[in-house]
Amino acid sequence: MTADAEEISVRLVGLLPRLRRFARSLSRNQHDADDLVQAVVERALRNHEQFRDGANLAAWLFGIMKNAWIDACRARGRRAEVALPEDSGEHPAVSPGDMDTSLWSVSEAMSKLPEEQRLAVALVLVEGMSYKEAAAVLEIPIGTLTSRLARGRSALAAALSENEGPA
Amino acid sequence: MNYDDEILMAYVDGELDERLSAEISAAMERDPALAGRVERHRALRAKVAGAFTTVLDQPVPERLRAAARATPLAAGGPQRRAEVMDFPARTSGAASRWGAREWSAIAASLLLGMLLLWQFLLPSQRSMITAADGTLVARGALARALDSQLASTQRPEDPVQIGITFRSQDGSYCRGFALRRAETAGLACRVGGEWRIPVTASAPGSTAGLRQAASLPPPVLAAIQARIAGDALDGRAEENARLGGWDPGHSE
Repeated sequence: MTADAEEISVRLVGLLPRLRRFARSLSRNQHDADDLVQAVVERALRNHEQFRDGANLAAWLFGIMKNAWIDACRARGRRAEVALPEDSGEHPAVSPGDMDTSLWSVSEAMSKLPEEQRLAVALVLVEGMSYKEAAAVLEIPIGTLTSRLARGRSALAAALSENEGPA
Repeated sequence: MNYDDEILMAYVDGELDERLSAEISAAMERDPALAGRVERHRALRAKVAGAFTTVLDQPVPERLRAAARATPLAAGGPQRRAEVMDFPARTSGAASRWGAREWSAIAASLLLGMLLLWQFLLPSQRSMITAADGTLVARGALARALDSQLASTQRPEDPVQIGITFRSQDGSYCRGFALRRAETAGLACRVGGEWRIPVTASAPGSTAGLRQAASLPPPVLAAIQARIAGDALDGRAEENARLGGWDPGHSE
């Protein structure tokens, strides 16, 4: 039992940069994103016996992150999530990496998407997963994934072209 | 021909079958408006994917590395079993108290261990590992197994058992291995066209289940943990790496 946990632990260390990227595409605040990664790592090690040997570890971890993130969003309340940027007139904490303007603007645009579209976009566009893999992570049919993906992309395209001014 | 956006997105995502994909490519040549729509989908995908790649290059906060290294026992109980896993920690307080003297003592004992180990290998196994220029290098059956054996197809009775295969942070391929009769396990990394062996350790008992890094002894696990970049290679990636001659520049 511990033996498997050790294997997962070794591989987890190597996957941390990807977990941080996925978390950052869900949460525009780097500190919150890292909290999410930490929660996922702890859950994964606690539940390591649920990981089937030979399965894709990254996909399993992304599935855990999806659940952890949805839990976190529910706990915080959707109102706070959606209302903050427009109403407060201030941006949430910006980390040094965000000096990169494309990270900042894409992240802002992503944060306005409904959770389910954001997850679909993050898995396929950011993580480069196939539709089949992404649908399995999200536990939804492929048709549902592609329609969320299409709606998410249209909204992103609109938000990004707005940021950049009229083309 | 009229294609809706969902089809064009799937085209950009590489999700269409060959026939439909070729049909759209051909239609784009005839129809600049269609080509423009595809280009916009492609640009959006590239923009979103590109925006987050900087996160991959950022240093991983130590608290996350520490969280990933903790095993359930280490996290919960008094019976810490994770000391060895903490070994490669770079910046943690405990590790920084170690001075050069302690480190060189460890290095010396590791080296002594390796030499002793080498001494006690059976002659047939001694031909598998040689010491050259202060490093151990795989030879003979071990080198052949590292070159060609796949974890997915090896048989339990093979004298060399290959375990986890992964890319190290410097890009080179590394493979965990165990020698069945010598009850020895180690890590080999492909450097300069040969398999160098930065660490070996005795692996008493069975080497069954070596596909999992789990059954490798702690010093080997620690060496893997200090080097691994990304996830372990799956069966297909392992085969591709072999086809590419374990050349780091060969794309997977």
